[in-house]
Amino acid sequence: MIEIKNLHANVNGREILKGIDLTVKAGEVHAIMGPNGSGKSTLAQVLAGHPAYQVTQGSVLLDGKDLLDMEPEERSHAGLFLAFQYPVEIPGVSNSYFLKAGLNEIRKARGEEELDSMQFLKLLKEKMKLVEMEASFANRPVNEGFSGGEKKRNEILQMAVLEPKLAILDETDSGLDIDALKIVAEGVNKLRSPKNAAIVVTHYQRLLNYIVPDFVHVLVNGRIVKSGGKELALELEANGYDTIKEELQQTA
Amino acid sequence: MTQSTIDHYRNQFAAFERNGARSAPAWVHDLRRKALERFAETGFPTTALEDWKYTNVAPIARTEFRRPASSGDVTKDFLEQHRMPGTAQHLVVFVDGRFSPELSSVGTLPDGTFVGGLAAALSSDDATVKASLSQVLPFELNPFAALNTAFLYDGLCVRVPAGTSVIEPVHALFVSTAPVASAVTHLRNLVVADEGASVTVLMSYLSASEGAHFTNAVTEVLARSGSAVEVVKMQRENGASYHVENVRAHQYAGSMVHLFSLALGAAIARNDMSVIIDGEAAECNLNGLYIASGEQLLDHHTFMHHIHPNCPSHELFKGILTDSARAVFNGKVYVEPEAQKTDSKQTNRNLLLSDTAVVDTKPELEIFADDVKCTHGAAVGGLNEAHAFYLKSRGIPAEATRTMLTVGFAAEATEKVRHTALRRHVDAAVVEHLKSKLGSTNVPDIVHGT
Repeated sequence: MIEIKNLHANVNGREILKGIDLTVKAGEVHAIMGPNGSGKSTLAQVLAGHPAYQVTQGSVLLDGKDLLDMEPEERSHAGLFLAFQYPVEIPGVSNSYFLKAGLNEIRKARGEEELDSMQFLKLLKEKMKLVEMEASFANRPVNEGFSGGEKKRNEILQMAVLEPKLAILDETDSGLDIDALKIVAEGVNKLRSPKNAAIVVTHYQRLLNYIVPDFVHVLVNGRIVKSGGKELALELEANGYDTIKEELQQTA
Repeated sequence: MTQSTIDHYRNQFAAFERNGARSAPAWVHDLRRKALERFAETGFPTTALEDWKYTNVAPIARTEFRRPASSGDVTKDFLEQHRMPGTAQHLVVFVDGRFSPELSSVGTLPDGTFVGGLAAALSSDDATVKASLSQVLPFELNPFAALNTAFLYDGLCVRVPAGTSVIEPVHALFVSTAPVASAVTHLRNLVVADEGASVTVLMSYLSASEGAHFTNAVTEVLARSGSAVEVVKMQRENGASYHVENVRAHQYAGSMVHLFSLALGAAIARNDMSVIIDGEAAECNLNGLYIASGEQLLDHHTFMHHIHPNCPSHELFKGILTDSARAVFNGKVYVEPEAQKTDSKQTNRNLLLSDTAVVDTKPELEIFADDVKCTHGAAVGGLNEAHAFYLKSRGIPAEATRTMLTVGFAAEATEKVRHTALRRHVDAAVVEHLKSKLGSTNVPDIVHGT
């Protein structure tokens, strides 16, 4: 699905990612954990193509295609989706118009027919049920006046509608109470299939109780320093990131 | 300013006084003569004056504009296109500066309420009109207001008695057909809401032909204690025309005034909008949106005068500019020493969609009270990069992203229109305008949050 090799990236001339290697196969869920400032969110943003980051070294292939050579919209067309940590508010434009515009571009890129308004609304209704979102949100401006939880739910709704091959969830758990967290996680779980994959970026182990990963990677100072199964997340929860940092210092 | 310009308007004035303008009462004739003398003293403003530094009205000054002797034709289709769809409204139509009873349709009004043409109100020597006209906006303030007052003849007149609510909005259509070359209309509008009255007014300035014309309007709004008045202006005149309007509201204790200016049309458009907040706990909302393209110049000069304590005022003007268009925003807020606990917020934000568009923005705060909360901010820039990235990450291509974010930028201004039907009408005009100016048919309808 995705092959990340020796990925280095800067923001404002400062190196944040210092050589990331990560391979995710179809059907897998990978969690990326790490302390604040370790580069977790940067990795998510770089993969989605945020213009503020410069990739200085390395390669990323999505289904064999050079992801780094694509514009953000082309990455979306290729099957990548980023659920934002801080979804932005777009006034004036309805949630449904926005989503239909995105979906139809993606369908065009996949060689599928565009959906008309009726078909789209039917799909949207279905997917809104999945994330337990009230129908009225379809006609409200994108994220405007949404609570933190509603914004995160809206991200998962978008993921459900756009059906990406690879979804990256960037701290989707932050700012969510336990009920909202369950709804979001359930939404993600329902969308899991052998054909798609997910990278779940999180600071806390909590989300991983609900979205159970196949692999856990620990990111410290721009590098993956430890990888393991889901038990690694529990270990981190019990001991904190300091133990890993100490281990690193001893080996250095 | 040459003597020949003054002579031209003196000759025009002499002809005007000989013709249809005669029926007005003597005090109107006096007012006109004084205003003409004032205009003869000042002439048109030049860029040497601070208030006119960025807006050169020489193209207006050097054209010998004339009042058309009669009105051109406006079709029913044209009116249908421009009335608010699906909403009951008191439609008051003016063609080339004259009230058209045939085209207007004013519904049943509460007792004592008048909605119609100023000329009719003047010829019946209406006491409220006599007491209010030229009181809110003294013509000495602005040469264009003086010229307007000299040729004062007709315009929208709304008078709502104390404690009365006019439920359906009043919609004035000011249509110019340019029946003669260099036609000018000096529309004079007056809205008076007595104690506790409420009324909503939409003023649409339109061209029914491609011919160049000049609209020189004055709108006076008098909001007595406890009244609620909303006046929304939509300026959609053709690109060959000039548009100048002086709008001034005078509001008293506990009243609520909403003014909104949508500026889309004309080659040069200058709007002076001011509110005199003359009573405690009066609330003032002054907002607007301008979208300038081609070689257009759209100018808003605003003034808020806080005289008494405990008055909030909110001001948001947004601008979208493309091509080589220019815009000017000058926002003055004056807080008198007695106006403690004033809560005033002014914001001007401009979106530049080309490298050759220019905005001059200038907040001017003069605060003489010490216990106030006054903020202001001005910004000029391109599309928000973070917002663009978000849309693109959902597969939306660059051009559609630009369109959606431009619509969103405009929506933040139009949401300030309080009356739902008026807001919808303004939104629709903005979307239609953006379709033609952005070269994109795929412009989403504007939705607003709750």
